[in-house]
Amino acid sequence: MLAYIVRRLLWLPVLLILISLLTFALGLYGPGDPVQVMLGLHTNPQIVEQVRKEYGFDKPFPVQYWNYVTNALQGNFGYSLVKYQGQRVSDLIAKRLPITLQLNLVAVLWSVPLGIALGILAALRRKTWLDVFVRAVVILGISLPVIGLMPVLDFALSRKHEIGALGIGPFLPPGGWQGVFAPHIIQPAFILGLGALAVFTRQTRAAMLEVMNADYIRTARAKGLKEWMVITRHAMRNALIPLITIIGFTLAGLFAGSFLVEQFYGIPGAGALAYDALLSKEYYIIMAFTLIAAVVYVIFNLIIDIAYVFVDPRIRYK
Amino acid sequence: MSENRGLIAVVVILLVALVGLVCVGVGALVYCPQPGSVCAGLFGTPSNISQGVAPQTQPTAVQGQNQNQGSSQAPTQSPSGSTNAPAGNVLRLPGGSGLGGDPPTLDPANTSDVESATYIVEIFSGLVSFNKDLKIVPDLAEKWDVSNNGTTYTFTLRKDAKFHDGRPVTAQDVKYSLERAADPKTRSTVSPLYLGDIVGFMDKYTGKANEVSGVKVIDNYTIEIDIDKPISYFLASLAHPTSYVVDKYNVESGEQPWYLKPNGTGPYKLAQWDQGQQIVLEKNADYYGDVKPSVDRIEFVLGGGSAMTRYENGDLDAVRVTIADIDRVSDPSNPLNKELSITPQLSTSFLVFNTRKPPFDDPKVRMAFAMSVDRQKLNDVVFKKMAVVATGILPQAFPGFNPNLQGIPYDPEGAKKLLAESKYASGLPDIVWSTVGGGGTAGSDVQAIAEMLKENLGANISVEQTDWATYLSQINGTNIDFQMFDIGWSADYVDPHNFIGLLFRGGSLNNWSGYDNPDVNKLIDEASVEPNLEKRIQEYQQAEEQILKDAPVLPMYYGRDYWLTKPYVKNVFYPPLVIERLKYITLEK
Repeated sequence: MLAYIVRRLLWLPVLLILISLLTFALGLYGPGDPVQVMLGLHTNPQIVEQVRKEYGFDKPFPVQYWNYVTNALQGNFGYSLVKYQGQRVSDLIAKRLPITLQLNLVAVLWSVPLGIALGILAALRRKTWLDVFVRAVVILGISLPVIGLMPVLDFALSRKHEIGALGIGPFLPPGGWQGVFAPHIIQPAFILGLGALAVFTRQTRAAMLEVMNADYIRTARAKGLKEWMVITRHAMRNALIPLITIIGFTLAGLFAGSFLVEQFYGIPGAGALAYDALLSKEYYIIMAFTLIAAVVYVIFNLIIDIAYVFVDPRIRYK
Repeated sequence: MSENRGLIAVVVILLVALVGLVCVGVGALVYCPQPGSVCAGLFGTPSNISQGVAPQTQPTAVQGQNQNQGSSQAPTQSPSGSTNAPAGNVLRLPGGSGLGGDPPTLDPANTSDVESATYIVEIFSGLVSFNKDLKIVPDLAEKWDVSNNGTTYTFTLRKDAKFHDGRPVTAQDVKYSLERAADPKTRSTVSPLYLGDIVGFMDKYTGKANEVSGVKVIDNYTIEIDIDKPISYFLASLAHPTSYVVDKYNVESGEQPWYLKPNGTGPYKLAQWDQGQQIVLEKNADYYGDVKPSVDRIEFVLGGGSAMTRYENGDLDAVRVTIADIDRVSDPSNPLNKELSITPQLSTSFLVFNTRKPPFDDPKVRMAFAMSVDRQKLNDVVFKKMAVVATGILPQAFPGFNPNLQGIPYDPEGAKKLLAESKYASGLPDIVWSTVGGGGTAGSDVQAIAEMLKENLGANISVEQTDWATYLSQINGTNIDFQMFDIGWSADYVDPHNFIGLLFRGGSLNNWSGYDNPDVNKLIDEASVEPNLEKRIQEYQQAEEQILKDAPVLPMYYGRDYWLTKPYVKNVFYPPLVIERLKYITLEK
């Protein structure tokens, strides 16, 4: 087991080198140039050339890549070029990523357990009003566009309404970030969790339905086991195996962020930073985000694989 | 099937319930946010989201380390619980130009965008600046002399001007700031555009010299600047933040980057900057200017959700109106209408025809295209009348705007006739319109225009979207690959040259259409060095008329800004250029 984990982790540096090479090449050879973005509509090849030289963008690719890697190994991931001029990428990310993580974590914490619970309930009460209701929630959760839902919620909850002489609201702040325990998080976390809620409900329901029809469930019942034992010990444990995969990717997705929601609610998270960086060709910030995403996915994949061992006794790694 | 029908019914009921829930559930919570109610403790006081409304006399550390900084400040007691008017002399504005978000920099030498400039002009100051009427007035310099040949400017500095830390501003500081703007290590992309006319500036910028030879310190309070030709707009370009004075010790403090703790000379100083949350300016009690700042503390909200919602809730004192709210706000029966101010911007948007590419190498085709676009209808329908249909190239609020110009008319019949006379009468080639965008479909204005051109001229136009960075690198250079594209231009400085000369002089780096008319070139060249203002403007206007006849571009709209301001905020104005304005504002509550 330990050898397996070590072997998997040893691949990480190789992967990082490949990914960083690719990202770096795409940044340098792709269209668009951060210096031109800074200059805006003013066209002036002389200025662009001069400033590019000052940044060292005129050096050959291997030199630039080598400089980046040696700096990165010393903890210097470069600095912002356009949108946060001169600020260290590590500072920017250290300030913003935790906010995105906390926000997404809250979203996952309410939506995933609720989704699993609803899915199990719907499967056990199949073809009752409860099942229909849960499936309707799922359809809405998947199909309602977040971008349309946000202004509606904002209007209803965050605006002061004057109905006659009566002033109603606002009930929730329209946005901003005050930490996990402030009411500011309620709207964005609700919106962010909707998708996950729907996915987990549907997957759990499907998995449970499949398992409940299996022979071993009939056997368990025939043994005379109590119904709750059949469900918790036999049905749920097996139904959860496919869910672990989704949970892993959902958790890894936390880092990928929540750009739309952060933008709408004015939350200073990593999503907005990544988006700005993409639009302005901020090489160093894009690099940092790609590398972080790579590490996170590798590690969560590993955690998922290890988790299988504990839920599925048939799986063993050597 | 019956099961599915049930499902559909439930989905519909849920949708209705969602709307109902929002209203009813909200109704049940009505008294929650109010102090004294049973559940008041549950949510705190959500209405008081503006942070730190209590006036802070002690500037806290700039660059808040954690996002909870706001909540550690003392919450204020609203007198009635429902009004959110801040206690004390505090003004709350949306960030920067009203779009929110952090400014990319607060380093004057690197100011290339409106967001940054909005703060920089308040924190720092230059030798000269623009007043409310966009006239050049003395600032750090109390007076100046211009030599007879117009190439040597001698500035005398005020003796009472101090940096925020109390150090007096001297001629050495001015020289340091100008040389720093030229220093290649500053990596400024804008300084050559504004200061490149100073003798020796480009030598230092390109690393050929260690000093800018045209900037000479005469004594502590006198500085001389030489420019290489007698350009008439030099003072206007000195009013741009690029040449503003910075404190050497501040810049070299080792802070990464230094501008997070700026030590400027302007009427306001930076008290706090919580990234993505707020920028707080506090008034500089020692400000040297004649107009002293009145508002103690100005909070720029950088994030935090819908600005319009916050304005209507009373959590912001001004807001920029977007197209989503324009109908409501423009309605005279809406109380908000009284708080609306509309100001013209110094910007024009263009539809550019690349005259080097067929079919736009024929002026008749260009004019036919220009006459086939119903801009009035577009403005009424797509832009909800927010813009003004352009009649010429220079914007309305610009010196030299020609009110007699009629503009290119919408005349589909005339356009068809012109096309029939052109060398593409037998058939137009396929046309690609390049535009900035990343969505599945192009903007509705672009689609509408393409449809108009198809309907009126039978032109087959496909729209190609590119991202902003790629678009910029494509229109960079004198040989543009795009066949047809849309673009907007905002004034850098208030001189017709900034539009007519830069965009339409043959060979100019910003001449997107590749237009090159010898008569127009001659007029522009004469005008750019003509000392008599009236004559200059006449020459630029002549050039403008000729350009409109040749139609290398179709001027589309002049920009306008829509702002709502609370009635207790007095003397506020929304200038078309970024200029110092906060010091004029007073609060009357």
